[in-house]
Amino acid sequence: MYAATTSVALVGGDAREVWVEAHVGRQQEAFKLSGLPDTSVREAKDRVRAAVASSGIRFPNRTVTVNLAPADLPKAGTDYDLPIALGILAASREVPNLEPAVVVGELALDGSVRPGSSALVAGVISARRKLPALVAVESAAETASVPGAVVYGVSSLAHAVEMLRDGIDSGPPVRPKEGSSRRSSADLAEVKGQLIARRALEIAAAGRHHLLLYGPPGAGKTMLASRLPGILPPLSDPETVEVGMLWAAAGRSRGLDRLPPFRAPHHTASKAALVGGGSGIVVPGEVSLAHRGVLFLDELAEFPRGHLDTLRQPLESGSVTVARRGSSVDFPADFQLIAATNPCPCGYHGDRRRPCECRPVARARYRSRLSGPLLDRFDLIVHTARVDLEDIDDRASEPSAAVSERVRSARSRRAGRAQSGEHDFSDPLIRGALEAGRLTLRGALKVARVGRTIADLDESERVEEQHIAEAMGLRGDWVDG
Amino acid sequence: MAEHRLVTPHSSEYPVGLGDLEDPPPIYVSGHLTDATAVAVVGTRRCTRYGSDLARSFGKALGRSGWTTVSGLARGIDAAGHTGTLAAGGHAVAVLGCGIDVCYPAENRDLHQGILESVGALISEYPPGTRPDRWRFPARNRLIAAMSSAVVVVEAGEKGGALITARLAAEIGRPVLVVPGDVDRPASTGCNRLLRDGAFPVLGTDDLLEELELLIGPPPTKGTDASGSDVPDGGIGIEELPSLWECTPSEALVRLAQMEGEGLIRRSGDRILPAI
Repeated sequence: MYAATTSVALVGGDAREVWVEAHVGRQQEAFKLSGLPDTSVREAKDRVRAAVASSGIRFPNRTVTVNLAPADLPKAGTDYDLPIALGILAASREVPNLEPAVVVGELALDGSVRPGSSALVAGVISARRKLPALVAVESAAETASVPGAVVYGVSSLAHAVEMLRDGIDSGPPVRPKEGSSRRSSADLAEVKGQLIARRALEIAAAGRHHLLLYGPPGAGKTMLASRLPGILPPLSDPETVEVGMLWAAAGRSRGLDRLPPFRAPHHTASKAALVGGGSGIVVPGEVSLAHRGVLFLDELAEFPRGHLDTLRQPLESGSVTVARRGSSVDFPADFQLIAATNPCPCGYHGDRRRPCECRPVARARYRSRLSGPLLDRFDLIVHTARVDLEDIDDRASEPSAAVSERVRSARSRRAGRAQSGEHDFSDPLIRGALEAGRLTLRGALKVARVGRTIADLDESERVEEQHIAEAMGLRGDWVDG
Repeated sequence: MAEHRLVTPHSSEYPVGLGDLEDPPPIYVSGHLTDATAVAVVGTRRCTRYGSDLARSFGKALGRSGWTTVSGLARGIDAAGHTGTLAAGGHAVAVLGCGIDVCYPAENRDLHQGILESVGALISEYPPGTRPDRWRFPARNRLIAAMSSAVVVVEAGEKGGALITARLAAEIGRPVLVVPGDVDRPASTGCNRLLRDGAFPVLGTDDLLEELELLIGPPPTKGTDASGSDVPDGGIGIEELPSLWECTPSEALVRLAQMEGEGLIRRSGDRILPAI
C-alpha cells in the first residue's frame, strides 16, 4: 500500500525534486509526516484530512505515513498539500496508480486547490524531468511559461482525482502566459534638468557600472535611481524564471515580470534581510531579490559598516553564501549597485543656497564612512545638484523609451565583443592625468572602463579620444568639496 | 613655527590704519607687511557655497589688483576670501584671535601655512601660544576694521563677528560694502540690515572693483582681466555646464576634460574652478 509522486523544493535559487511517498499500513489510525517538514508543512495533515473529507472521499482510518524525500532536506511551504493528498489516496487505492507528474498546490478545507509559491519551480522541474505538472488553475499559466514545461491546471482535489482516473493528458495542456513587457511606471521624462546625472545613468545602464550619486536632499537622487530599471534591457526568458524563483524562495511572487527588479532596502534593514538568512529554511535577502536588476541603497553612509562589508562578496562574485551550522546555501546575487548619499550629515554641504550645519569634524567622519573598498566599486561617482525652479527647462525631457533603445544597442555591442580585462592607458588624456597626479591607477582603470561603454553607446568599435574625454569629465570624486 | 616679531605703533612697519584706534596695540607679526591699501573680506562661518564662491572670487580680484586682503582666518567666508587671494598670488593678511603660532580652526592649517609661504602675513595682538578664547575674537575684529581701508561683508547672519567688524569700521570712517541677499535667507539677514543702515551694495566682482576705486582710490596694479577661461571666477557646478556652454552633456564633459588636461581649470569635489 505505497504510492509516490513528485513535488518540488527550492534550495538557494535552485529547483530540486522532492518525492512525496505515502504508505498506508494496517495499524491503528495515525498520520505521521517525516522528511524535515517545518510548521507550515506539518499543518498539511489537518488541511489534507479536511480537504479529502470535503471532496467526498474516504480518508484511510489506518496508519498513514508520509515521507518527503530526500529526508534530510528541510521543507517549507504549503505546496505539498496536494501531492500528499494524492499520494495517500493512491496508497489507499482510492485513486488509480499515480502517473508520474510534478504536483504542487495548497489545499483549502473545502477541497479546492490554491496557488502556492512554487508555480515557477514546478515548471522548471517539469521541463527538466519531462514530466507533466499539476498546479492550481490560477498559477498554471505562470508555470507553463517556463520553456519546456507541460502544465495542467487543477481546480480542486476532486478535479485532480478525476484527471488521474481519465489520464492526465486527456485534456489540452495550459498555454503559457506571455511574459509581461510592462514598462516601468517611473519614466525619465519626469526628471527635469539633471542633464549630467541623466547621462551618467544612461552610461551606468549601458555598461552595468555601479553608480554613486551624491548631493543635497531633494536633488532627485532617488528619483533618478528608481528610473534605472526602465532603461535597462528587459529580462530574457531564462532570467525571468531565475529571478522569479529567487523571489519565490523569499515567499514573494513577481510573476513573469520582464522588468529588471529594483530593490531599495532601508538602512535599518538587518544583515539577514540584506544578504539572506532566517532560521530554519534560509531565505534569500535583498541582494538576491535584486539579482539581474538594481539594488538601490539610499543614504549609503547611514548603513552600518558591517552591513556594507557583507556586500563585498556578492559585488565580487555575483552570488552570496549564507552559512548555517552544518550547511551553507548559495544564492545568485548579480545586481547593479546604485547608491545615494548626502555629502554630509545635514546634507547641504556644497549647496548653493543653504549653509551646511555640520562641524567639519562631523563632515570628515561622515565621509570617512564610505572610504576604501566599497567606494572602489563605483565606476561612476556623480554629484547631483538641486534644480532651481526658475532654471527648469519647459521642454520635455527625453523619455525612458528613447534612452532604453540606446542602452539596448550598446549592450548588444558589448555582448558581441570579447571581454578583456586589459586596458591600455596610452590615451594622452589618461596619461597626462596620471602623470599630473590627478588620476590614480585605479581611477584610470575606471575611466578606461567607462570610456569603453561610452564608445558602445556611440556605436563606435574603437574607443576614441572623445569617449575617454567624456569619461574623464564624468569622473567625480568624493574627497572634498 | 615661522619666525615672528613684535611690531610697535612707533615702528615704520606698523599698519597705518591701526593708528586710528584709540589704543593702538603692539602686534606680533609673522610674514610680510606692506603699505599697500588693504580691504577686509569678512562674513559668516556658516556660509553657503554661493557665499564662499563669491568671497573666493572677491579675494582673487583684490589680489590681482594689488590690494591687500585682510580677514580673520575663520572658517567660511574668511577662509574663502583668503583662498582666492592666495590663488591669485596676492597679499593676504590674517588677523588672529589667538597666538600667531596657534592654528585655529584646525581645518585651516593649509591656509595658515599657505599665507606664511606666500607674500602674506599673520598678525595678532596676543603673544604666541595664546589659546583661542571666545572673547578674544570680537576684539580682534577691531584690528581688521582699522587696518583696512574698506570692509566687504559677503554673508552675515543676524549676529556675528562680521557685523561687529562692519560697525567698528563704520565708526572709524571706513566704507562698508555689502553683498545683498535673499530677504528670507538667514545667512544674509545681517547683510541686508547693513544695507538698510546705509552700507554700499556690491553687485558682483567687477562692481566691487569699480566701487573700491571710487571709495578708496585706484588699485595699486591695474588688474589684468585673466578671466580667459570659460568658467566663472567663483566656480561652477558640473550640472550647470551644459546650459552655460549651450551644448549637450556629453560635449560639456568632453570639453571639461580637455580644459582640465590643458590645465585651464581644476576641480574641487563637484566644483569646477578656473585654474589660475
